Amino acid sequence: MAAVSLDHVLALAAVLFAVGFVGLLTRRNLIVVLACIEIMLNAAGLAFVAAGARWGQADGQVMFLFVLAMAAAEVAVGLALAIRFRQAMKSLDVDDADRLRG
Amino acid sequence: MTAADLLTVSPLIALTLTAVVVMLAAAFRRSHALALRLTLGGLAATFGTLFVAASRDARAVTLLVSMDAYTLFFIGLLTATTALVAILSYQYLAQLPVQPEEYYVLLLTATLGGVTLVASTHFAAFFLGLEILSVSLYALIAYTARRAAAVEAAVKYLVLAGATSAFLIFGMALVYAETGTMTAAGMRDVVAGLHPGAVVTIIGLVMLLVGVGFKLALVPFHMWTPDVYEGAPAPVTTYVATVSKGAVFALLLRFLLPVSADQGSAVFLALAAVAAASMLAGNLLALRQDNVKRMLAYSSIAHLGYLVVAFLAAGERAGAAVAFYLVAYLTTTVTAFGVVTVLSTADRDADHLLDYRGLGARRPVTAAVFTVALLSLAGLPLTIGFIGKFLIVTAGSGAALWTLVVLLVVTSAVGLYYYTRVIVAMYVRAPEGAQAGRTAPGARAATGAPAVFTLVALTAFLLATGVYPQPLLRLAEHAVSVLPWP
Amino acid sequence: MLSLLWLIPALPAAGSVLLVLFGRRLGRGGTAWVGTGSVSLSAVLALLVCGSFLAAPPAGDAYRQVLWTWFDVGGFAPAIGLHLDAVSIVWVLVITVVGFLIHLYSVEHMERDDGFTRFFIYMDLFVFSMLVLVLADNLLLLYLGWEGVGLCSYLLIAFWQEDAQNVYSGRKAFIVTRVGDTALIAGLFLLFTHYHTLEIGQLMHLVASRSPAPDSGVVLAAGLLLLGGAVGKSAQAPLQTWLPDAMAGPSPVSALIHAATMVTAGVYLIARTNVLYTLAPDARLAVAIVGTVTLLLAGFSALVQRDLKRALAYSTISQIGYMFLALGVSGWEAAVFHFMTHAFFKALLFLAAGVVIVALADEHDIFRMGGLRRELPAVFATFTVGAAALAALPLVTDGFYSKDLIIATSLGSVDGGAWFYVASLIGAFVTGLYSFRLVWLVFFGARRTEVSRRPRWRQLVPLYALAALSVTGGFVWMPAWLGGFEPLRKLLDTALPPAPMEGAAAHFAESVGAALITILVVAAGVGLSYVLWMPRRERTQAFAAAPSVQPLVALWLGGWGFDWFYERVFVRPVKRFAHWARHDLVDHVVGGIAWLNLAGWRGLSAGQNGRLRGYLAVTGLGVVLVLAVVVLR
Repeated sequence: MAAVSLDHVLALAAVLFAVGFVGLLTRRNLIVVLACIEIMLNAAGLAFVAAGARWGQADGQVMFLFVLAMAAAEVAVGLALAIRFRQAMKSLDVDDADRLRG
Repeated sequence: MTAADLLTVSPLIALTLTAVVVMLAAAFRRSHALALRLTLGGLAATFGTLFVAASRDARAVTLLVSMDAYTLFFIGLLTATTALVAILSYQYLAQLPVQPEEYYVLLLTATLGGVTLVASTHFAAFFLGLEILSVSLYALIAYTARRAAAVEAAVKYLVLAGATSAFLIFGMALVYAETGTMTAAGMRDVVAGLHPGAVVTIIGLVMLLVGVGFKLALVPFHMWTPDVYEGAPAPVTTYVATVSKGAVFALLLRFLLPVSADQGSAVFLALAAVAAASMLAGNLLALRQDNVKRMLAYSSIAHLGYLVVAFLAAGERAGAAVAFYLVAYLTTTVTAFGVVTVLSTADRDADHLLDYRGLGARRPVTAAVFTVALLSLAGLPLTIGFIGKFLIVTAGSGAALWTLVVLLVVTSAVGLYYYTRVIVAMYVRAPEGAQAGRTAPGARAATGAPAVFTLVALTAFLLATGVYPQPLLRLAEHAVSVLPWP
Repeated sequence: MLSLLWLIPALPAAGSVLLVLFGRRLGRGGTAWVGTGSVSLSAVLALLVCGSFLAAPPAGDAYRQVLWTWFDVGGFAPAIGLHLDAVSIVWVLVITVVGFLIHLYSVEHMERDDGFTRFFIYMDLFVFSMLVLVLADNLLLLYLGWEGVGLCSYLLIAFWQEDAQNVYSGRKAFIVTRVGDTALIAGLFLLFTHYHTLEIGQLMHLVASRSPAPDSGVVLAAGLLLLGGAVGKSAQAPLQTWLPDAMAGPSPVSALIHAATMVTAGVYLIARTNVLYTLAPDARLAVAIVGTVTLLLAGFSALVQRDLKRALAYSTISQIGYMFLALGVSGWEAAVFHFMTHAFFKALLFLAAGVVIVALADEHDIFRMGGLRRELPAVFATFTVGAAALAALPLVTDGFYSKDLIIATSLGSVDGGAWFYVASLIGAFVTGLYSFRLVWLVFFGARRTEVSRRPRWRQLVPLYALAALSVTGGFVWMPAWLGGFEPLRKLLDTALPPAPMEGAAAHFAESVGAALITILVVAAGVGLSYVLWMPRRERTQAFAAAPSVQPLVALWLGGWGFDWFYERVFVRPVKRFAHWARHDLVDHVVGGIAWLNLAGWRGLSAGQNGRLRGYLAVTGLGVVLVLAVVVLR
């Protein structure tokens, strides 16, 4: 079976990344926002795996493991913050967080 | 990794151990004073291990980190700054309805992240350090979670930091995909040999800069700065404004050193545009800010713009200017935000201009400290800020970066206006019978003898180094000399 | 003895620091001792050091003392070094001796003020900065002193900070002089880039040895930029608008800072860098023109002022105009001489004015004064001596000798000319007119306001001392037709080039004939003032109020409309822009981008856009823009 070319994987990663970013721009629910960040991070991680495959090194996959771990930590804190956010703003709507301005 | 290597990375180990010890101590016995003492002791020990590490021969430990003179200089700076922030935080936290011990743990882990950043010579360490720093900050910013402002600030920071981290990683991946290297040395070669045809590499570099630019609060990645500075508790703002920026900038110099060599290159242009925009936007946005924390946030954007100008000037002398200005910026910012911290009360931070009205009469020492700090930020002679700016202008003129230098001088002059606004407010006598600012009557501010003493000592440092900067300058020159200058 | 030079500025600095640390504990008495004592010690030392210098002049007629290297950056290593020569001797002696007298006066003048300690802290700090300015051996250190005196001036103008107007006056002073300071720093950078040193001696030597070409453009530019700085600090046209408002500060401040010392910093700077101006005739001409225009402008403005201190402020501006005129026609030494005599009589006038104002319970309007001749005889006598010196009454006042010298130089110098000569004579006429106007209106006629506080010895002794100096100060340089006793000139010759007086005009200018013309002009001015304001003052007042004359009076009263002009052209637009930029400019951009994004991505939820998403949008747009710039090059 022919190996998947680097360009295709990178393209997929880019598309996923864009999807995540657009989601960030358009969705208002804080949980969904966190999920979009996850999509972006994983897309970037995918790009790393592809890059590692291109050079035949394990470094890409190691970086992906790091990304995974970091994303998990971030989401843990993020969800705790989401709870606090709900308590403070009485909703999970990100647009409600606009008191700090100017 | 051998035992010898362990000695070389002893500062990192010391710092980690401190964090763990403070965490365990909190589990066994909840005591604010104990936590502070352990923190300060650990930071002092870390500072001590710098000398152990300095005596080692082989400085690179695995591909990931290098404990050379440059690293050690910045580790010293970051640990000292963290210690100052910890001291200033004590009284502030004591009057809040929060559990203070975990604060110090987070502070230490954040510093660990920063220290890793400074020591890193590989993308993996870069990424790890950045994330440890960031995640710790998410929790720190939201520490006073009962205040809606803090939660809002933390959410904004988290989302934006997460998104820009994704950009960073993607950029790293692209660069790795094109060039096969993830080390700092490799990056330097990539940047030095960059030609316009390497589109993917350039895109990767730009995306990498997005992540860096966010942390440094450079335009156009600066939007979070005023909101987070305003919402976060004052000592955390101090930390965000100093350590997180200092660590990232130190790393920038190591990874992207050759950018300054080719003034026509794409990356150079991008950074020049960012610097110019930051200087302009930072100073203009601060002009009539009534919130002191927001004003200082915008001014920090401008200062990072100045630093990028120094970074873009080629040569070892410019590097020394960067290191010196980082010290100047860190110490001055700690002093300025330290004053804000010390004046804050349990219900709100002292962030409105009205809180400072008549301060000269009520609390002359604090007012004098703030005046010196603001004048140093403005770059008036006799302060460390003047020497720093002078060095940058000299470096910039030497590299013929005329547009940027002129912009620096002009925007600095604009900056003088909003700094003197606060100074004027402090010395105009408050009207009879008016409450100091909008604080509830009877509220006590977070002033303690150690905090005030620290601020006075910092002020003395600002003035002394303004008059006799040679020792610090020599130290900065020594630190940057180990980097491979072209 | 010369090695004690560094103590002269160090003592007031130490005094200031001591007062900051222990002022509260020392109380009024202690503060007075420390504040005044430090300056007095400095004055004694100055006399000793200068005496030692004069008795045994060091090699090259200059003494240099390097304290330490400030910083060392790639070969540029400005030192904290002090340089003493004839020019700095004159300034140091004036600053310390007159400064001491003013400090002594302040002990009594400010005795009822709450900010007593704070006052002396600032005053001592000022004396320190000014001494650093005149003793600096390199332009960077000079600039440090320059900034320091600016800061102290601002602090002291806004001293009575309960009144917001005072604070605004202080800020106005700071900002207007800042405009000049920007020119100065640009000039310093130009000089440094071209000659790689800012050490004054070295710099002047390099400039001289390398001229005329190819440096002439640089020298001219540097000269003009330094002139810009001098114009700001010395309140010359067009940056003179801050000085009259600076009278909001206490009278000792006006005497020390805004008459005797800080405002002469510009004169000092140009005298120090005279080589630049000798080699750039156009810059020299600019200096002379600035001086001439200012001396006339301010002179006429002083004529119509109602506020006693404002009148004296305009007078100061005018007299410094004389000094600039002298500098511009290469009369370096004459400018220094006039600086010295002016310091004596102007400080005297301000101190006496301070006594009068306090005596009449803070009355500033001269038309509400009058008849104080018998109530305050000592003040009357000393004020009249000061006014006489200002008007350059012949032979018995120091003002006569120095002003006549300038008038003579303006005619006889190679760079001089008929226009300068005529202008300076008109100026002398107007000076005589306005200075004695003050005397007649304040001390003669009917008493309008009663005297409530009388001065005691601490205020009177400085007045007497300055009056004595105002009389005898001129005898150190007598003109040729009076015997030619000129030890001051001989001293200044060691540091400054002599004025190039040649030709028939010079011959005439130095003769008794020219002096007689001056005397006549002055006498005419004084005489006319007597006529206008003594027996017929009501008619003069009515005349000034007449509708045809009123606009002219208003114009002069408002300082020829400079403030009005600046307010409209500079201040208002900047304020408007700052007000508009008050809300985050990028907010408007964010809204636009967010809207674009939503419109672009149809089909997804299009709700109201919140701030966070807006920030993300800006980030995204930023990335796209940077990429576009970078990739499409």
